Amino acid sequence: MDALLSAAGTVLVPDVLLVIVAAAIYGLAIGSVPGLTATMGTALIVPLTFFLDPVPAIGAIVAATSMAIFAGDIPGALLRIPGTPASAAYTDEAFRMREKGQVELALGVNLVCSVIGGLVGVAILIFAAPQIARFSLGFSSYEYFWLALLGLSCAVIVSTGPAVKGVLSLSIGLMLSTIGIDVVMGIRRFTFGDTELIGGISIIPVLIGMFAITEILRKSADPQQPGEVPRLRMRAMMHGVGGTIWRYKGGVARSSVLGSVIGALPGAGADIASWIAFALAKRFSKTPEKFGTGHPEGIVSASSANNASLSGAYVPSLVFGIPGDTITAILIGVLLMKGITPGPMVFVMDAGLVNAIFVVFILANLIMLPLGLLAILGSRRLLVLPQRALFPVILLFCVIGAFAANNTVFDIWVMLILGLLAFVLEENDFPLAPMILALILGPLIEENFMKSIIKSDGQALEFFARPIGGTLGVVTLLVWVALAIVSLRKARRPQTERGIA
Amino acid sequence: MKFNDAILGGVFVVVSLLILLEARTFPTLPDQPLGPGTFPTIIAGVMLLGGAALILSGLRSRAPIMALAGWIRTPGGVRRMLAVPAFAVAYILLAKPIGFPIVVPVLLLLMLLNNGVRPLASVLTAAGASLAIWLLFARFLMVPLPLGILTEVIY
Repeated sequence: MDALLSAAGTVLVPDVLLVIVAAAIYGLAIGSVPGLTATMGTALIVPLTFFLDPVPAIGAIVAATSMAIFAGDIPGALLRIPGTPASAAYTDEAFRMREKGQVELALGVNLVCSVIGGLVGVAILIFAAPQIARFSLGFSSYEYFWLALLGLSCAVIVSTGPAVKGVLSLSIGLMLSTIGIDVVMGIRRFTFGDTELIGGISIIPVLIGMFAITEILRKSADPQQPGEVPRLRMRAMMHGVGGTIWRYKGGVARSSVLGSVIGALPGAGADIASWIAFALAKRFSKTPEKFGTGHPEGIVSASSANNASLSGAYVPSLVFGIPGDTITAILIGVLLMKGITPGPMVFVMDAGLVNAIFVVFILANLIMLPLGLLAILGSRRLLVLPQRALFPVILLFCVIGAFAANNTVFDIWVMLILGLLAFVLEENDFPLAPMILALILGPLIEENFMKSIIKSDGQALEFFARPIGGTLGVVTLLVWVALAIVSLRKARRPQTERGIA
Repeated sequence: MKFNDAILGGVFVVVSLLILLEARTFPTLPDQPLGPGTFPTIIAGVMLLGGAALILSGLRSRAPIMALAGWIRTPGGVRRMLAVPAFAVAYILLAKPIGFPIVVPVLLLLMLLNNGVRPLASVLTAAGASLAIWLLFARFLMVPLPLGILTEVIY
């Protein structure tokens, strides 16, 4: 507790607070404009965080993403268009509430549940992360290798689409991470004689390409113009929210904890958390027949879960350096740029930083209440922004942002090529999360793999010799076997599968 | 733009074979078969297997070689989409010789008009957004954005 208070001292200074509030407003805007996702929003601020100190840089990402995940609910309830994919699970339900004249109640519930879910998630992060870190201090290269591999396998399992495509997406990410100087002997690999590639592919243009350019391409082809937004009454937004949430308090508690756990699984983030929380709310409901008619019970659960998952994702990211979702994958990239390697040692060496992240999370969730209220009231103006004009401006920002980190036009090429590649991959049902996770984890996996295999003199059994490493190894192999069996079964029955689809 | 899995699988197989060939040229540690090529070889092996599996499932599915997505049929969709890479390439080629303050407002204006924004709104948006991004990156974050032919005018 003392540590948290002293960390609060580093966060509650004017410059950092200013950055956090600015990022929060930015996040609200990103989230409430349909088509701009929280991940894309994060990728867009990375070039700016490059110029900030670690605490405000992370604060900006935490604040912007928390707000964006909440704000995605606003156009969902008002226009039936989810602002971010994390709100898609309950967009219909919220819109039905609007049709029943309860739009203020729906939005009020979204806001308060987002705050509660976020705070529960932070509490879990604060208690769980240091414990796991202490336990994992004794990990050697074998454990790290297996852990990272298990994380990547998880990313394939939770991704949508066929497992083969997840594995291929993973292999692209790992291959891209091997470009540049290698860790074993320091020779140049796959640089094609290009001096710009010696340092490897830099992460910022890749992120912008994969998460912003793809979205701009899709939205430029088919811009949507949002419809009419109803006038909102402030008082109606306060009224009845408390009672509704209290009635479904069990759902809030269950979904917040569930959201954190799902967030912690590598590759699964806020969108998966909200789908699962919504489905479970329906299953455990006393009145499941009311779902789909504008019933707040599912909304309460799912909007708690998606905000809880954000902080849950920081557990494996900070403790092992293994990102829990695409947003934390970006965050790890930012930390590495700042010369901080996430892992259990961070809790010993940079304890101040870790505690500052906790404080930022608490703060971000608390200021969400007033700022979120303002965002709901101001959404009438924001939602009529013409998308046709918005996307060219965002594209310019992407181009300059990609250039800014290393001041080289080569990075604009990287952004463009990776963006086009990611677009084609996504059009063909390849999940992108495994690719970005693999790109970030690639150097960690290779280094630990090479260290381990050189130590063991090429003996594969050494990888299983230590108790924890061995267990992790066996679990990873079991996961692979399960994946292989499931895909083979599916492949054998392509007819029936297409029947369902 | 959805391709048959067999085509994509073929691409993965070719790429992985190229990687395997390239990785064989890397040196190894003395007295050990291991070296910088070990890890890429394993990944390329996985990619090869995955690509082969994709070819099999693609051939079995009898899906068309290439299916066009719905957005290609929206009027002007392809034109608006091609403008995105064109914008980036034009910036890469033109910004350095001519300079950000001239190239960016013009490119942005063209992009907005291409997207069907009204002319007056396009001019205002292009000028405002270019100025805002210039101030943010060049002034506030000290990024050396290219001045091009303006270098001599200003200095």
